[in-house]
Amino acid sequence: MVSETPPLLALRGLTRRFGGLVAVQDVDADIHRGELVGLIGPNGAGKTTLFNLISGVTAPSAGTVMFEGQPLAGLRPYQVARLGIGRTFQNLRVFPNMTVFDNVSVGAIRDSGLRDALRPGSPAHLRHIGEVSREMLAKVGLLAQADELAANLSYGKRKMLEIARALAGRPRLLILDEPAAGLNDSETLELSRFIEQLRAEGLTILLVEHDMGLVMRICSRVMVLAFGRKIADAEPAVVRADPAVLDAYLGTGDDE
Amino acid sequence: MSARLNLWLGLALVVTIAGLIASGSSYFVQIAITTMIFVILSASLNLITGSAGLLSLGHAAFFGVGAYVAALLATRYGWSFWTTLPAAAMASALVGVVVAMPTMRLTSIYFSVATLGIGEMIYVTLLNWVGLTRGPMGIRSIPGIELFGWKGIECQLVVTAAVMLGVLWLVHRLVHSYYGNSLRALREDDACADAMGIDTGRLKLQSFGVACAMAGAAGALFAHTTGYISPDSFRFGESILILSMIVVGGLGSLYGSIIGAVILSVLPELLRDLGSYRMIAVGVVLFLSILFLPRGLVGEVSALDLIRRQMRHRLQRRPEAGAW
Repeated sequence: MVSETPPLLALRGLTRRFGGLVAVQDVDADIHRGELVGLIGPNGAGKTTLFNLISGVTAPSAGTVMFEGQPLAGLRPYQVARLGIGRTFQNLRVFPNMTVFDNVSVGAIRDSGLRDALRPGSPAHLRHIGEVSREMLAKVGLLAQADELAANLSYGKRKMLEIARALAGRPRLLILDEPAAGLNDSETLELSRFIEQLRAEGLTILLVEHDMGLVMRICSRVMVLAFGRKIADAEPAVVRADPAVLDAYLGTGDDE
Repeated sequence: MSARLNLWLGLALVVTIAGLIASGSSYFVQIAITTMIFVILSASLNLITGSAGLLSLGHAAFFGVGAYVAALLATRYGWSFWTTLPAAAMASALVGVVVAMPTMRLTSIYFSVATLGIGEMIYVTLLNWVGLTRGPMGIRSIPGIELFGWKGIECQLVVTAAVMLGVLWLVHRLVHSYYGNSLRALREDDACADAMGIDTGRLKLQSFGVACAMAGAAGALFAHTTGYISPDSFRFGESILILSMIVVGGLGSLYGSIIGAVILSVLPELLRDLGSYRMIAVGVVLFLSILFLPRGLVGEVSALDLIRRQMRHRLQRRPEAGAW
């Protein structure tokens, strides 16, 4: 777990307040290359806020996010994405009125400017967008439906489409926000195999999940958030037996 | 299918133009010119509203900027159409980009309200800056279009058709490219497009500038082909007319822009006998289209859906207010 190389992603004293509410408080965390890290916590623990802090959607009230040694302070989400952090969304956000292929291509487009659109022929970087998009569609098994509207896909397939779109940006860190939410058992199984396959290919993944089971099964390390604080950060077996974690999930009996 | 359709449309255009010239009816030629100018306006509005999802309610004002720039350069400094055309396009793009810059930070429905305000501001400026624009009296005696010594209404018809084809080609290229995909992503979910690495602010500004330039070019055509312009042609109602064209034709579709513009330009002329009641026909067509053809004739998104989604986005894209 401890690595000599600098971490891919380093959070230091990360804090975010919304008015009087502290959604994320003083979180320190490292994610190293090649790791598959789970981030769990009860509802309202601050998982999504932490997620938004990393991807540039929300600015931290205090603390820093460093990616490959570079601080992400003040960067907009598109800049964070271009640096190599890909993401999916908790509430499915594919582009419904676009084809499956066009959806994925958006992840790879980056800066395909006006001039490219008007130039005759297709320069290498535009062909590359098409190649990467098809490659990612093949990877998630949606190549056959490339020309269908995204709205016509099943829920499970739209989830995979969203992952393919994030992968099309060739991220070095992929953060998945509750990818298993709303999936049935067989779809969840398929998803977990897919995530493991991505990891085997060397991709670093941060998996934010509500569902303990999936995280415990596939992650090499699990971080637990409760009331905005990180209360545990260890291997799944250790976390599972941690009394603080059990407390956070089950309550001490007084509240709720 | 698309290539064959384009061929037929091109053929229809050539036959129509030849027929009009042969008929020698200046009334029909004038209707054809006006229709083609509206095709440019609807195609350019469809680029930003239909494809990029930026619901602009002030498109006619940028048409007006182009028309006034062309008219003033032509009447005061003797510029010909061939120099006022690019000048008008550039001026409209510049005005569009400058005034739109602060509104680009606004999202969805607020952007629409801002464009409505900008449109009215431009109209009021045209109306009240009497020293420059002659106010409500308008600008008269704008010279016509001349092409290698050829002039007259036939020349204007052919030149308008050529400029229209150029604009349609441009919009076609923009929409059928990865640039078009990023525009559509902007329409579908701009916060998500941002997270996918698309510089949404720049893209909005750029596409808005391009659409304004096209509206400006349409303005130059309008000024030189009618010979007289006044602020009344560039009011809010005209913006809504252009918007109606793309809603009836279909949001996000180039063919939709053409069909919508043709229907809503020609229909009022066919109903001339009804006097001023004929404008009601425009409303009826729009109403029926939204009711029975939510995506217009050939559109890729439903108009109501676009508006509904924009309203919802407003709530969605403030993570502070949402879940944490």
